[in-house]
Amino acid sequence: MDGVSYQRFPKVKIREMKDDYLKFELRETDASIANALRRVMIAEVPTIAIDLVEIEGNSSVLNDEFIAHRLGLIPLTSERAMGMRFSRDCDACDGDGQCEYCSVEFHLHVRCDTDQTLDVTSYDLRSSDPSVVPVDVAQHSESTGYDASEQRGIIIVKLRRGQELRLRAIARKGIGKDHAKWSPAATVTFMYEPEIHINEDLMETLTLDEKRDWIESSPTKVFGLDPNTHQVVVVDPEAYTYDDEVIKKAEAMGKPGLVEIYAKEDSFIFTVESTGAIKASQLVVNAIEVLKQKLDVVRPSEETEEADDQFGELGAHMRGG
Amino acid sequence: MNAPDRYERFVVPEGTKKVSYERDTKIINAASFTLEREEHTIGNILRMQLHRDPNVLFAGYKLPHPLQYKIIVRIHTTSQSSPMQAYNQAINDLDRELNHLKNAFEEEMMRISREY
Repeated sequence: MDGVSYQRFPKVKIREMKDDYLKFELRETDASIANALRRVMIAEVPTIAIDLVEIEGNSSVLNDEFIAHRLGLIPLTSERAMGMRFSRDCDACDGDGQCEYCSVEFHLHVRCDTDQTLDVTSYDLRSSDPSVVPVDVAQHSESTGYDASEQRGIIIVKLRRGQELRLRAIARKGIGKDHAKWSPAATVTFMYEPEIHINEDLMETLTLDEKRDWIESSPTKVFGLDPNTHQVVVVDPEAYTYDDEVIKKAEAMGKPGLVEIYAKEDSFIFTVESTGAIKASQLVVNAIEVLKQKLDVVRPSEETEEADDQFGELGAHMRGG
Repeated sequence: MNAPDRYERFVVPEGTKKVSYERDTKIINAASFTLEREEHTIGNILRMQLHRDPNVLFAGYKLPHPLQYKIIVRIHTTSQSSPMQAYNQAINDLDRELNHLKNAFEEEMMRISREY
């Protein structure tokens, strides 16, 4: 159309990147984009999860439905999910969700023949696709301080002597909006970046004890005291929870305007934690991609636009064109 | 027992248009877009992007009812523009913004993984 554009050019800075954790800054855009990204990460980025369970034999203490539900909640590695089809619009299998394009089959067969309780875990699930397997908690455990030898996957049920569990399960692609088991996000949050200005002149009218008292009034450690100069300094602006406590304290001490705190309305700090189904960084990339696809389908169809054009001309005639 | 199927929240039923458009009969250059199976995610970014357009006099969206899975975006523009033009412009701008964001994020990912 015409050359005008009101586009923005957001900036990104990653602070910390691990497989299942990501912290980054998003700048020069507004809260609607930040919130859309957050919402999409939680509810609309696809993953793979067990959706259909056929129990062939179950003599455990848990009933069939209970086990089926537990299986559904096990996160599966889902790098493939973006390229997969939803079984409802899969042509190859008429949507019954049993073909390689839209599903992965799992088998589980465990029987306890000892006097010791046997744990049935996610490791006992045998996948038909080596790229879609239960998330391996032990693999990430070195960094989190767990002893890898203690990690035995995710427990599904416990069996005693003579009990057996045998089943077939179909995992499908889905989104968190359908059921939370498909959500790749453990937590996704963002906060406005705070901008803290201390009125130094007013601050110097405080005694050392008053300064300490004022610093203590903040429930989180935002401010500190310089041990040499006895000046109040900002230790960690992002610890501020917009609780206004320090502002109220200043007023109560008869020093209004001691500190001014603004939320920068175009700067956000994101924290993303993944369930392990996909990497946290991939989660963000996929969220942007999903949001783009969503925007693309809400473009008006050709016929809608043509109808408007004709109407527009008609309107122009009526107005005396 | 009588709960609607979960997929009804995001699958457009057959024979229904994703986007429908209705002009205001009383005000010139005002119209409502009905987006089927969409919610705040799309509604709010469209609204905020439309507010950046100086030819848009009013832009707002509503979710009429939590069990009606649609949103209504209402746009009123000056005579220099039209609701359809502003709507398309907003989508194009958002799409380009997201392209930019994706590239920026991927570049940053490369930079960070090189550091490790």
